[in-house]
Amino acid sequence: MSIFQQLGAAAALPEILLAIMAMVLLLEGVFVTAHTPNTIRWGAIASMVAVAGLVIWKSGSGSVEAFGGAFVADGFARLMKVLALLGGAVTLAMSGKYLARTRMDSEEYPVLIMLASVGMMVMISAGDLISLYVGLELQSLPLYVIAAINRDNAKSSEAGLKYFVLGALSSGMLLYGASLVYGFTGHTDFAGISAALAKTGATPGVVFGLVFIITGLAFKVSAVPFHMWTPDVYEGAPTPVTAFFAAAPKIAAIALFARVMVGPFAGVTHSWQQVVIFISIASMAFGAVAAIGQSNIKRLMAYSSIANMGFALVGLAAGTVEGVEGLIVYMLIYLATTLGTFACIMAMRRKGIYVEQISDLAGLSRNDKGLAFVLAMLMFSMAGIPPLAGFFGKLFVFLAAVKAGLYVLAVLGVVASVIGAYYYLRIVKLIYFDEAAEKFDGADMELAIVAYASLAFVLGFIVFAQPLVNLASAAAKSLF
Amino acid sequence: MIGLTHYLTVAAILFTIGIFGIFLNRKNVIVIMMSIELILLSVNINLVAFSFYLHDLTGQVFALLILTVAAGEAAIGLAILVTYFRNRGTIAVEDINMMKG
Amino acid sequence: MIATTFFFYLFSLFAIASAVLVITMKNPVHSVLFLILCFFNAAGLFVLTGAEFLAMILVVVYVGAVAVLFLFVVMMLDVDFTELRSGMLNYLPVGGVIGMILLAELVLLFSTWAAPAGDVAASVEAAQNTRALGLVLYTKYVFFFQTAGLILLVAMIGAIVLTLRHRTGIKRQDVNTQVARGPATAMEIKKVESGQGI
Repeated sequence: MSIFQQLGAAAALPEILLAIMAMVLLLEGVFVTAHTPNTIRWGAIASMVAVAGLVIWKSGSGSVEAFGGAFVADGFARLMKVLALLGGAVTLAMSGKYLARTRMDSEEYPVLIMLASVGMMVMISAGDLISLYVGLELQSLPLYVIAAINRDNAKSSEAGLKYFVLGALSSGMLLYGASLVYGFTGHTDFAGISAALAKTGATPGVVFGLVFIITGLAFKVSAVPFHMWTPDVYEGAPTPVTAFFAAAPKIAAIALFARVMVGPFAGVTHSWQQVVIFISIASMAFGAVAAIGQSNIKRLMAYSSIANMGFALVGLAAGTVEGVEGLIVYMLIYLATTLGTFACIMAMRRKGIYVEQISDLAGLSRNDKGLAFVLAMLMFSMAGIPPLAGFFGKLFVFLAAVKAGLYVLAVLGVVASVIGAYYYLRIVKLIYFDEAAEKFDGADMELAIVAYASLAFVLGFIVFAQPLVNLASAAAKSLF
Repeated sequence: MIGLTHYLTVAAILFTIGIFGIFLNRKNVIVIMMSIELILLSVNINLVAFSFYLHDLTGQVFALLILTVAAGEAAIGLAILVTYFRNRGTIAVEDINMMKG
Repeated sequence: MIATTFFFYLFSLFAIASAVLVITMKNPVHSVLFLILCFFNAAGLFVLTGAEFLAMILVVVYVGAVAVLFLFVVMMLDVDFTELRSGMLNYLPVGGVIGMILLAELVLLFSTWAAPAGDVAASVEAAQNTRALGLVLYTKYVFFFQTAGLILLVAMIGAIVLTLRHRTGIKRQDVNTQVARGPATAMEIKKVESGQGI
């Protein structure tokens, strides 16, 4: 048997293909002078969609381990990878005209997004502490770069710098925890760690290591109290980059969080459950309250995403199959609403200048009925109003928490959801009942497509919820 | 007799100094980045020490990869710092919540 | 044994002392130089545990590349030291206490370590560290190796994207264009009427 067959490299074919395509596009951008940045961008989108298709096509082969357990391709991994890839492809597709207008359309931008997506895929399939770290870094480094990619803008550089410093610090803490776990269990692969923990239970060394690891992961997920970077980075980075940040890396990070907690540390649930419950409550509460005084819509979306991660973590805190199922459904709905909202935000353009203040949305219903309606529905969904999709997402995670006996968590979650609904409803009021501000320039076609598709998803979720929930359920089961 | 605890203690002291250095030098980004390098160095010492006492090479491989990634990270961090400096003319970062909306 | 103990304490002491100096020096250039000293001593510690390849790589990569890069950047950026140092002493007592508590907890933790009995992933160390790592890095751990390669690619792209500026108005030679010139483009034949000039 060749070494490749022995290692089972075929399971990682999607990642390998995406990496090769990224390198091909990079070379094409350099050597083929006839091609424009747009060609590279569409090449990147096509590759990411094709690789997502490849991941879907290979499903049904059950759980495959490769590279000696370092790479796990189970149903959960496949589903989350498809979501992350689609999130990246859609944000890249939406951003074309924005990048062209602000002269940020370099040929490296799509390549960096593709390489970040490879990192996300490695992370989601991590079966070893080393591949967890390496995937995490491969995802994070391009993100630091694209946050600062608007070289002549001071806010963008500051966003990139803050993101980098806090990200590197959190990686350091995660590594320290990983080194402690390795030392006290003797293994870096997740299977070995669970076997060792099954024998000895939760030794203090492993618990310390676990706390440090949770610290690092909570940063990536932007859960309180490690959320400090999110508002500044979301506000300072260019809007297409913020859209990407809010979509794909969040999915990958929470999938990794779920995999790590439920995989190697499944035997010591009591050690991490309390911590996850705490950060979940803190995120929901903080996200609900802190967004109230905001005037910049990207900053508001940052606080909204912090709150959303809090809700998703409620599902994880339950630690059961239903909990993870709720998490997956919630992330799916979150992805659709986030993409739609950012499509609307990127349509906010007056006389060619992009605007970001919430007050610019005043009276939108008089100027642009379509955009106003889409935005209002998305805001209602995020506030959790039935029968829109957002309500069902929250319903699933709260039900899972109640089933697992975490009544206090569920109640606090509902309270936070109600309080947080205030600022979403405030935007709807602004759109429909306030004096009309100046009219926006027409939205690009790509933005309109994404916005309406998101609207259709949010409105129609109640109809086609069942197949999606079944999919999530199968994926969650494969994780345990 | 030098045991595992000795190495781990040295690593822990370096880790603490690194964290301390970040809080002490909140305005000087270069020293913050050097403190992060100290934290990564402490992780490497941890891993190599565990690898030696567990008779397992995985720790050294992990340390080698961390070395690689840290070098790449330092390059990107310094590039971002240079970009920031070109825009601002200083490397003092205002407190984290200065960009209040 | 005596030699090992002596060298261990020597390296550790210098490593810790230089780490403290890294974070307290006023001049960033001095900080970087003490960081280099810290790396050298850590490499010494690695040699003591038999990881000599790692020690050499630490010196070559970390000191030779990363620390030198730090030095370049520190010298390139015109930094005002005094302004950066303000407010430092405010955090000293609280930070010191927290640091001491963390350190004490960690040290107490380490004494609970017990070698896992026979459960360890069995990989016998070959005679030489380099050989042992080489045997395993390209076979068992090739996935990590390749992904680390992609990370380095990203670092390269990132650094270039962020900092490269093409200066306009500079005359550059393009040797290929120069060499590819032939009589067709380089010469023009004009028919001159006698007595007329060009």
